[in-house]
Amino acid sequence: MSPADSRKIRLLLLQNAPLILFLVLVLVFGSLSERFLSPTNFMNIVTQAAHIAIIAIGMTFVLLVAGIDLSVGANMYASCIVVALYMKGWNPVFGFAVAGFLGLLFGAVNAFVITRLRVPAFIATLATLFVGRAIALYLSGVKMIPFGKEILLLGRTTWLGLPVPIWIFLLVFVIAWVTLRLTTYGRQVYAVGADPEAAAKAGIDVRRILFSVYCIAGVCAAIGGLVSASQVAAASSTFGFQKEFPVIAAAVLGGTSLFGGRGGVVGTVFGAILIQTVENGLVMINADPYVYPLVVSAIIFIAVLVDSLRTGMLERLERRKIRVETA
Amino acid sequence: MTPAQTTRLDRPGLAPGLPLWRRLLLSEYLVLFLTVVYVAGMALIVPEILAADTWRDILAAMIPLLIVAIGQMFVLVVAGIDLSATSVLAFSSVLGAAVITMDGGPLVGMPAFLVVAVGILAFMAVGGAVGAFNGACTTRFNMPPFIVTLTTMMFFSGAAIWVTTLLTDDGSSIGSLPREFVFIGQGRVFELPFSLLIALAVGLLAHVALSHSLFGRWLFAIGINPNAAAVSGVPVRRTMFWAYVISGACAGLAAVIYTARLETGTPVLGQRILLDVVGAAVIGGVSLFGGKAKVLWVVFGALFLTVVDKGLQLLGLSLAGVFAIKGGVILLAAIVDAQRQRLKGRG
Repeated sequence: MSPADSRKIRLLLLQNAPLILFLVLVLVFGSLSERFLSPTNFMNIVTQAAHIAIIAIGMTFVLLVAGIDLSVGANMYASCIVVALYMKGWNPVFGFAVAGFLGLLFGAVNAFVITRLRVPAFIATLATLFVGRAIALYLSGVKMIPFGKEILLLGRTTWLGLPVPIWIFLLVFVIAWVTLRLTTYGRQVYAVGADPEAAAKAGIDVRRILFSVYCIAGVCAAIGGLVSASQVAAASSTFGFQKEFPVIAAAVLGGTSLFGGRGGVVGTVFGAILIQTVENGLVMINADPYVYPLVVSAIIFIAVLVDSLRTGMLERLERRKIRVETA
Repeated sequence: MTPAQTTRLDRPGLAPGLPLWRRLLLSEYLVLFLTVVYVAGMALIVPEILAADTWRDILAAMIPLLIVAIGQMFVLVVAGIDLSATSVLAFSSVLGAAVITMDGGPLVGMPAFLVVAVGILAFMAVGGAVGAFNGACTTRFNMPPFIVTLTTMMFFSGAAIWVTTLLTDDGSSIGSLPREFVFIGQGRVFELPFSLLIALAVGLLAHVALSHSLFGRWLFAIGINPNAAAVSGVPVRRTMFWAYVISGACAGLAAVIYTARLETGTPVLGQRILLDVVGAAVIGGVSLFGGKAKVLWVVFGALFLTVVDKGLQLLGLSLAGVFAIKGGVILLAAIVDAQRQRLKGRG
């Protein structure tokens, strides 16, 4: 086997590392618990992963332009608390419309601070995280606010054999996939992420693209929040707290690079399901609950490590090509 | 570029002819000035803020925060970030306390000075080890520091709680620390807290390392342009690695003070101060883009945040109010930093 072949195999392994990780985990949990491998349980995993997947789809847009949004958890709290407080008894469609609009506003504030005031995305969204939670805590009076019956009903209703949260998640997923893959806008997002200067020279309005992705992340955070609300029934003062970690982790696990320009929503959905599988599996095998964060963070760490190794290896492969041409 | 050059514009008076607001905005004493304004404003509503007791509290709260923030500064100056600092506080507090506890710990019966020395070393070693892990990941595997330290933060804050449940019956905290160790956090020398001496020593060491040593010049060179630094012969990876180790060790040292003050090792230590740590450095004027830092700025930043906190406490604000104002302050500082960069770019 030539060195080039072995490099290709290593690259192939690295590229599919999350899938390999997933299969290993399924095998391990499956052998430790009989209930784990049942179809019902798999349906449960997807239902529980739905809200993370929806928020992570929005996060994918932000990561694709090498940005980051730490405020998604605060956004989902702030947007959903309004629905919980003021929209009891309304048709849930209005709930989603209002929450989505508020999420959009929240995202637009982030976008303004980042693109116009030129504050680094990390620190800008860290600050709006605090402000957003403050607004939500103020509105709720730091009390547990139950959601209306119609929102709860949404979580339990099934349509064509699938729970409604899964349908909402599929809808968001299809729209995001079409946008990224089949539209000019989607190609522009990738272009800005890969090289903002080159994108600007090619005539793309970079600031507009940057602005829009934070808005998309905001809308997704709010919609994901309501989907989560339909499952947890009430918004306590920790609703959405630190949700940004599993969300970013889902996207990164799915192969979306933190350096921008590479990744997609298919991988993100896979990442969200992978994380939920781990948590579900740990419950199924009756693991010590204190170990959960250790296992989850270790798996995220491995995913990021793989992403970095892959990036480094791709760079090296490309460098080699140039050398061959000049020789 | 040397540090002296990067900071020249920040000195007031060196750029005459600029309008006053611009001189003030660019001044390195801006934050100190804001602190005075804040205290003056607060004094109208809550006169207690001027009391000696209040300032003793502020000093006590500021010392460990300052030590963590100084460590953070070393990472920020090479355009990195260390989000794991707060989990280091918790993790080293638990492990360190487990080493020196007189309730069945491994050092029972040893002379006191030995226990204290081993204890401090243990705290700092735990911090340094986490820092070394962060540093190795960012420099060897080119992993983004933000996400590496995010995962180590999740991991070690989880680990701190898990280890506590293994070591104790009720899973809350580890007590029975030797009296000599507790002195580090609570003792006074000439009416001043003993921990102030530690903070002064750390500040002095850090100042020399950052502004008057080759290591410091390397840090700035990397922060301003890592490629240029590498070409000029700066050992980029090694220098960045040590920046993370310093950050971890500083967090370990701060954990000594927190733990000694509480007389217990606890896994909930420092859960809420992550934003304060990064905030103190950034508000003081340390740039998140790297290449701009000074120990004195961090002191101002830590003082400002602690005073703001104390003021809000005296006002008796709700949790929501404290969150809103803190978020606003961080945002304001970041915006001011961004505008300063722009002004300087033009000037």
